[in-house]
Amino acid sequence: MFIRAVQPNSGLDAFRTEVRAFCEREMPPEVRRKQARGQHLEKSEYDAWLKRLGARGWLTGKWPKEYGGLGWPPEQFLAFQEELGRASAPPLVSFGPTMAGPVIYTFGTPEQKQKHLQDIIRNNTWWCQGYSEPGAGSDLAGLKTRAVRDGNHYVVDGQKIWTSMAHWADMMFALVRTDPNAKKQEGISFLLIDMKSPGLTVRPIIGITLGHHLNEVFFEGVRVPVENRIGEENKGWTYAKFLLANERVGNVDVAKLEAYLRQIRCLLDATQEGGKALAEDPAFQRRLAELEVGLATVKALMADQLAAARTNGAPSLMGAAALKLRGTELVQAILQTGLDALGRHGMVYQSDALHAGWNGELIGPEGSADVIYEHLYRRAATIYGGSSEVQKNIIAKGALGL
Amino acid sequence: MPSFSAEERQLLNDSLNEFLSENYSFERWKKLARGGEMEGFGRAEWAKYAELGWLGVALPEAAGGSGGGMTELGIVMAAAGRRMVLEPLLGTVVLGAGAIELVGTQAQRETLLPQIATGRLFIAFCHAEPGAGYARDWVHAIARRDGSLLVIDGEKSFALGAHAAHTLLVSARLGSQAGPVCLFLVPRTAGGVRLNVAPALDGRLGATVSFAGAKIAAEAKVGDDDEDRLGMIDRLIDRGAIAVCAEACGAMAAVTQATVDYLKTRQQFGQPLSKFQVLQHKLVDMSVSSEEARAIVHAALQALDDKAPGAQRAVWAAKVQTARSARLVGSQAIQLHGGMGMTDELAIGHYYKRLTLCETLFGDGEFYLKKIGAAAAACVVA
Repeated sequence: MFIRAVQPNSGLDAFRTEVRAFCEREMPPEVRRKQARGQHLEKSEYDAWLKRLGARGWLTGKWPKEYGGLGWPPEQFLAFQEELGRASAPPLVSFGPTMAGPVIYTFGTPEQKQKHLQDIIRNNTWWCQGYSEPGAGSDLAGLKTRAVRDGNHYVVDGQKIWTSMAHWADMMFALVRTDPNAKKQEGISFLLIDMKSPGLTVRPIIGITLGHHLNEVFFEGVRVPVENRIGEENKGWTYAKFLLANERVGNVDVAKLEAYLRQIRCLLDATQEGGKALAEDPAFQRRLAELEVGLATVKALMADQLAAARTNGAPSLMGAAALKLRGTELVQAILQTGLDALGRHGMVYQSDALHAGWNGELIGPEGSADVIYEHLYRRAATIYGGSSEVQKNIIAKGALGL
Repeated sequence: MPSFSAEERQLLNDSLNEFLSENYSFERWKKLARGGEMEGFGRAEWAKYAELGWLGVALPEAAGGSGGGMTELGIVMAAAGRRMVLEPLLGTVVLGAGAIELVGTQAQRETLLPQIATGRLFIAFCHAEPGAGYARDWVHAIARRDGSLLVIDGEKSFALGAHAAHTLLVSARLGSQAGPVCLFLVPRTAGGVRLNVAPALDGRLGATVSFAGAKIAAEAKVGDDDEDRLGMIDRLIDRGAIAVCAEACGAMAAVTQATVDYLKTRQQFGQPLSKFQVLQHKLVDMSVSSEEARAIVHAALQALDDKAPGAQRAVWAAKVQTARSARLVGSQAIQLHGGMGMTDELAIGHYYKRLTLCETLFGDGEFYLKKIGAAAAACVVA
């Protein structure tokens, strides 16, 4: 069928101007400076910036109005992302606004909505995702972290792994096994867990980036109130899949893609071969053109999924999988182009330059360390949120009926 | 640009697919493509399309059309691609009508557009010349004024549907090689017009056309003034390019589905081929690739309808993506069908050929990549 759900929308120029002016006015100089240098933000800096966006409701602009969102149509969310990208703003964090929030407003109790939604809208809470376990990666439903009912609490024991930002998080949404005897998808529940709970330990995992982004999270007799369960006991897999579709759309950050592509253009300008900028090399021009086409395609796929989410309450599992596949391949292709340019500067990785206060002497163009960091980090793009191979299995089964 | 509501688009889409699935089977396609009349398409089918309102879908209501835009034209082309429709929609409805609407005189609009909507006029677009490649601005044909007549000399490359067109839409420079490029409506049967009719890769017929002192009436020039039309031709070719992209989207959806269905039935090693994960992932690649093209083609059609500033770039990007998807989907359809995909008897190979034509008409992926790369955005520090 050759019908598109996205409707034309011409009233976005004023909104774009507003976002641009906002970024110009409200981004703190230190954040701006670090973003320009490709340096990493402290949590407090990040938090302050997200709170400013949150005060306008922009972190959750695409949520329906009845849950405190602004009911943005897809084009407006895309325009928002584009403008953030153009302003080199810090990337949005999707754990609260894209993952936890929609699950809570779709399946949560009135009390849960009351308790959590406003804090997500305003970025008063940082969230993390307790899905993967050492024995449950691609086979997520094989998870073993146990939650045993004890009065008005669940007692949680087990371990999560690859938990991004757990060390910054206030809350975790987690999948736990509440019925070990049921078929594996049917014995799972969805819990909201306070990261300050006694018995919960976060241990860092240092990545190939040499940075700390990932963690292991251990649960030893962690008591979680039953009122923190989303929906019904043992129906957690349903909410988990709903969240995964949103996560996969969230795995593709158009603002980031825009910003990377711009960064790579500048890198090609600043890198010479035989005295001539790589930006003038037809081979690199062709690659840039391919990346631009890739970005236009991903944006079009994204617009379709945002429209589906708005009409049906969630993106389609298949459409989100296709978007995730292509969006993550694209981010890797963009960063690979940067890496290929950096070979001309000796492929130096001064990871200390990513942190403010570094006084060393930079080798190569400004932002080189960030390009390498992101290249290394985004090797995970085709793994997190379900590997590319898992996405293909989902499409094979769900869309093609194989 | 006036446009259809979502419901009207859905109705149009459904009516196209319903009619074509009932009346345009692959057997019927073969009869039309290889019939004895050497036309390579169906006149009765064309009359039916007119009756159903498809030919006038993007024409103004005053001309007997429905007042749709490029999106609606895209819906028609996608449905046509699904069934590999042979009738000359591209030359007549997309390009011919487009040119007359964009720059035709009032008299031309009033007489010709209703003829198109009612299916009484076939047009073929004769613009490219030997030596042009895919370049859009390479015109060496000449139209000289001779009293009340115009005399045309020049060579035009292969144009689909030229063999059967009533009228050839021909670009030529007015007066001399330094003159403005104008468009002319030349009767195919005019003296001094010679056609070399040949089949294209996908079996559709067309012709190269040479003009040697071909005399036409002065009113046959499209438009009143002698303004240079290269800018308008540029837009017209964008229109053609995105229309064949939409056509390719339809063909990709159809051939992907056919391949999925085939692998579910074909047994090897004691089970259906569709049970092998390596083949499942190939089918997924075809499906996702088709979806990518559909999404970006829709976005470009909408950009054209919205007259968005980046519309042309959106069309170019769509052409690159569609060319890439068409190549992957077409070749994998044959690969996954194995020997059966290689036979003339099955539709698969014909889809491959149609997709190859869609990939290359008006410029292939590499050509548009070059255009995008040359017009690349500069490094801007925020």
